[in-house]
Amino acid sequence: MEQIVTKRIADDKLVLPSMPAVAAKCLEMLRNPEVEPRAAANLIEKDPVLAAQLLRLANSALLGTREPITKVLGAVTRVGTMRLRQFILETTARKTFESKDHQINACLRKIWEHSVAVATLAGDVVALANAGDAETGYLAGLLHDIGKPIVASMLLEAEKTILGLKPSAGWIGSVEWLGVIHRTHRKIGIALSQKWGLGDSVCRAITDCEEYDSTERLCEANAVRFANAVAKQNGFYECDTNKDDNDALIMIGQSLLGLDPKRLPQLVGSAQRAVDNLKF
Amino acid sequence: MARILTVDDSRSVRMIVVREIQALGYEFAEAEDGEKGLQKLTEGQYDLVILDVTMPVLDGPGMLAKMRERGDKTPVLMLTSESKRSIIAGIMKSGISDYILKPFKPEELQAKIQKALHVSTPVSAAAADDAPVVSATASVAAAGGAAPAEGKVGVDILVIDDMENVQKRLRQMVPEHISIKGVLNAQTALSTCRDRVFRVILIDNDMPDVNSTSLMRQIRVLQPRTAILALYVRTHANVADQAKKAGFDGAILKPFDAQAVDDFIAQYFNAQELVVKDDNILKIAAFRGRENRMDSYFNDVTNTVTKISEDVAAACYAELIVDISEMPAASDRFVRLVLELKSRVSKMGLELRLVGSSAVASTLKNYSDTADVPLFHSIGEARAAA
Repeated sequence: MEQIVTKRIADDKLVLPSMPAVAAKCLEMLRNPEVEPRAAANLIEKDPVLAAQLLRLANSALLGTREPITKVLGAVTRVGTMRLRQFILETTARKTFESKDHQINACLRKIWEHSVAVATLAGDVVALANAGDAETGYLAGLLHDIGKPIVASMLLEAEKTILGLKPSAGWIGSVEWLGVIHRTHRKIGIALSQKWGLGDSVCRAITDCEEYDSTERLCEANAVRFANAVAKQNGFYECDTNKDDNDALIMIGQSLLGLDPKRLPQLVGSAQRAVDNLKF
Repeated sequence: MARILTVDDSRSVRMIVVREIQALGYEFAEAEDGEKGLQKLTEGQYDLVILDVTMPVLDGPGMLAKMRERGDKTPVLMLTSESKRSIIAGIMKSGISDYILKPFKPEELQAKIQKALHVSTPVSAAAADDAPVVSATASVAAAGGAAPAEGKVGVDILVIDDMENVQKRLRQMVPEHISIKGVLNAQTALSTCRDRVFRVILIDNDMPDVNSTSLMRQIRVLQPRTAILALYVRTHANVADQAKKAGFDGAILKPFDAQAVDDFIAQYFNAQELVVKDDNILKIAAFRGRENRMDSYFNDVTNTVTKISEDVAAACYAELIVDISEMPAASDRFVRLVLELKSRVSKMGLELRLVGSSAVASTLKNYSDTADVPLFHSIGEARAAA
């Protein structure tokens, strides 16, 4: 299986999910800080599902709305352009973590929970350490494992091709299956982040989540690396982890980012709430 | 006094480390490589070793391994430019107390030395956000907390609103002793919250291009003990519930209403500033505000003084000196308060000595139960009374 995946990567025959056209255009538009909310709203209205999800967000308790918002323009204004970009990327990425196969879906759910925990922690760590832009830290955390669901889909497809059958029960989630994902997902994640234009911070967070960049101590990618280790230490992870290596990453990260260890329980509490709030 | 050994091949690093050790008042010794470090450890007893990783002759991990082999369990603090996970994970297996990545801030080194020595540290800039937020003018003791963190200036209220007039209007309505800072956008708000501690933060619910709830959550990370309220336009009901659901501590309506601002001040400021403590001397602040708040003022004074009295008794003082010269002495509540204090303080084994004006004296003399309470014209007289 691993050879098939590796070969596809080497042959540049990856079939990466495309960003929906409306989302892609909207993200492009939002690169301009002077963007008119009306223009973004007009674009989003062309994708009814995206528009409905945006309205749901704008009317959620999360944003503390005081009256129902029924127009997309109102929702764009309410959410703000900074949060809108995050919402579009989050919604698009979330789709990548969905599968019609219930076994894959269960596994991807755990990866998504890990991603949400890392995102929440990374955003908070960036804010706390003054390590860049908290929203970018959040996104980089959310997308640092974006290659995993794509590898999972490829594996499922490969198994069907080889065996000519539906995937056998119990295979998904096996140590071997997860091992292939862990060994191959980064290259695919990087390719996807480039295709989607996710930016340097996200790309760096995907490229290496195991070693800090000590040449630029205060950056979003380092916050994601630290957040990833903290998430693993606190059980927000789908696999077993090397405790010694993980503890070392946390110890190094605290000094590298200048964080007070007393703050960790609070950060972990926020991540737990974010995961608890996920609805599948 | 604790003795600390610093082992590093860089003379300049050793000099910096020694400076911080001396600043903490500890003794020190130096070694320039692992071999010399081991030699120092055989010659004397140390409470902590601050150890570099890469050194000639014998490196840090080598020295640490030899220490542990011979049963030396002296705590070790790694101070290194090495940040490779596998190397640090390997060193951790030999038992290190903590790790500092070079270049480092002196306060990080000091804090980790204290932690390794199990010495409780004063509130540092790094831990500033754990400190309760207090006003620059507020009573430390009455607030029941610590002073503003070192290196961070305490300000009472931060107003985050893109309309400059909002902070100006609030400034006109709150008492002068309460400090206010206003910022017009989220970015400035976040950077301000990294530099200063606030007691209360007000966030406009309709900031352009940023969601106020997201901003509130980011600020909560920076200032977890601060009350954060949402500012809503006065057009809808139940804003308080909506604000609470979103995670705010409350809401205030714009334009500001005098009664609402009065309630806000009473909720977040008055109780903490009523009593200023200096050892066993308490000074009660004058009453400010509407008449209908007088009962609440006396209740707060009674409760705060009682609480502080316990601290005074715990510190083994025999007397509690309470300066009540600025209190409204004509009120019946004043006499009841003095009686209450007399009773509670006496139960703690403390002698109550009051300091007050002639108006206070004449009020107290009118009642048999209060006529015998020792009253002095000044704190100096009260102190000197045998």
